[in-house]
Amino acid sequence: METVFISKLKPFLDAVAEQMELYVPKKTGRHFVYSKYNPSTETVVEFNNIRTCVPAKEFLFPVRELAATSPKSLDLKDIKPFAVFGLKDCDLRSIEILDKVFADDEFQDPFYVALRENIFIISGDCTEIGESCFCNLFNGRAFAGGGFDLNISKINDGFIIEAGSQKGQGFIEGHRSLFADVPEALLAERNENRARVQNQLEQNNTELQLNTTLREVVENSQNSEVFDVESQNCVECQACTRVCPTCHCFYLYDTKLQSYFAKMKMWDSCMRTGFAAVAGGANPHKVLGDRIKHRFMHKFVYFLDRYGIDMCVGCGRCVDADPSEMDMRTVLRKLSEEFKDKKEANVTK
Amino acid sequence: MNQNFYQPINGQIVDIIDESPTIKSFVVVPEEEFKFETGQFVELTLPGVGEAPFTPSSSPADSEKMEITIMNAGRITALLHQCDKGQKVGIRGPFGNGYPIDDFVGKEIYIVGGGVGLAPIRSLFLTLIDRIKEFKSVVCRFGARTPDDFIYKNTLFGSWQSIAGVDMKLTVDEANNDWDGNVGVVTTILAQDDVDVANSAAVVCGPPIMMKYALLKLLEFGFSDENIYLSMEKNMSCGIGKCGHCMLGKYYVCKDGPVFTYGQIKKYPEIWD
Ligand code: SF4
Ligand code: FES
Repeated sequence: METVFISKLKPFLDAVAEQMELYVPKKTGRHFVYSKYNPSTETVVEFNNIRTCVPAKEFLFPVRELAATSPKSLDLKDIKPFAVFGLKDCDLRSIEILDKVFADDEFQDPFYVALRENIFIISGDCTEIGESCFCNLFNGRAFAGGGFDLNISKINDGFIIEAGSQKGQGFIEGHRSLFADVPEALLAERNENRARVQNQLEQNNTELQLNTTLREVVENSQNSEVFDVESQNCVECQACTRVCPTCHCFYLYDTKLQSYFAKMKMWDSCMRTGFAAVAGGANPHKVLGDRIKHRFMHKFVYFLDRYGIDMCVGCGRCVDADPSEMDMRTVLRKLSEEFKDKKEANVTK
Repeated sequence: MNQNFYQPINGQIVDIIDESPTIKSFVVVPEEEFKFETGQFVELTLPGVGEAPFTPSSSPADSEKMEITIMNAGRITALLHQCDKGQKVGIRGPFGNGYPIDDFVGKEIYIVGGGVGLAPIRSLFLTLIDRIKEFKSVVCRFGARTPDDFIYKNTLFGSWQSIAGVDMKLTVDEANNDWDGNVGVVTTILAQDDVDVANSAAVVCGPPIMMKYALLKLLEFGFSDENIYLSMEKNMSCGIGKCGHCMLGKYYVCKDGPVFTYGQIKKYPEIWD
């Protein structure tokens, strides 16, 4: 597949927007937030340095959607192709995780699958790191390794665009006149940039380097008090699960719309008190610390056991979103210290 | 093509049977063909109101209609209890695994049940007695709080008592004047020599506390972890292993269960919470 050069982003994005609806990151305050791209009014196009504030998951898994109707069954509607620009490696890997849940088994979610088949993903290298980024702990990188249609790397004089799928390759071939060949020197510049940011990332997280797997640490924390202690910092706002690009819990509820009954599918959060409560009233996660523990178990043990990958990409969004002092990295660090102490105690015994 | 598992099919409640002061059975006729295996569950929708998971209590062999026994225990179940015959409903499913009937062939089947847990057990029981010759025996040990609280009283106290190949014993926590059977929790009628443990499979379904103690008894009798089948209750929503509500360790109860062997789930600390 091809790699090409373009000096400015706007003509490229305009060409995408000509074919389909396009969403791009817009700087709002300190953060990047997606908004619809309008070629005629958009003058400055930004290349987001790091991931957006709210993840791209909403494009595939909307906060609320109509899932069924009665008495007449819901007709699945056709989805038009659309493009999203500005995803980073962590975002691409979170989509891989969502795919496992919603698309890769015998029970596909038809709404997710329809959106997934029609999304055109334009990712980009990270040009710096966020203070809370810890993706390197999950083999994440500051540049995309796969899972995109097109990936963009910013260099001094322009942008290098790489195709990662037939769809992406097709786009390049269909817009030859926009692109130029990439000289070797520019590829070298890209590689240097990548190595530099990757290094920053590793420097940022030296404290979190464990000499064992997170799975082992978290699985052995079943009786740890860390969750209860840390839960005192949590104000139960559920922001962490909302901004998480991999959290995908939802619930179905029924309602009456104009002339028919509807079943809606809406985001839920395992941080909600009644999340696991059964009709009889029993609730295995009544205590907040237990819910936080479940969240960690799900992400680092259960999901891994089931699907073979962690359900966390280390994007740090939950850290940024948290209005209080709760920090996933702190919890993981405390758990690993506790685990190390336990192990050492066992050795000396 | 893309099947929408969230879409219920239409159905109607055609009959309602009062089983106990808090439990009713609803006879539901689906408008389209609907097949399930004993032990699988369905999501029953009250249109515009909500849905809840139930394991049908009727035999899968009855393809025309399905019976669903419901205890008045929460918002949706309370509203279902107020419904009359003719009520339109939605049905999604069936979901999850059923009881592994074929693995039971040639064995003694030891069924321990209590309360509304007799609902899935009734479906299993009806399935087993249809093929009773294929099993060495079916041994039932059922409990209820009081004689009134037993569901399916007519058959339970009547014809089910005298089926060849079936050994049935009942107990209540509190007797009344008409009761001449055992008094005590269900574990008081479990005995080591009820079955030939090495050649049996045990099925347990009931309130968590009952299941917990019945399980301990079965283990004490020498049942292996793999031969004890537990029906787990969780607050299922999607039914297809996506929404995250029914997690039990790495399992989705809706998809990998609701029937598990004890061996599958024993490492998870919260199974009876
Ligand atoms: S974002 Fe923080 S405070 Fe809010 S629910 Fe999550 S852990 Fe608790
Ligand atoms: S009910 Fe949704 S995952 Fe099991």
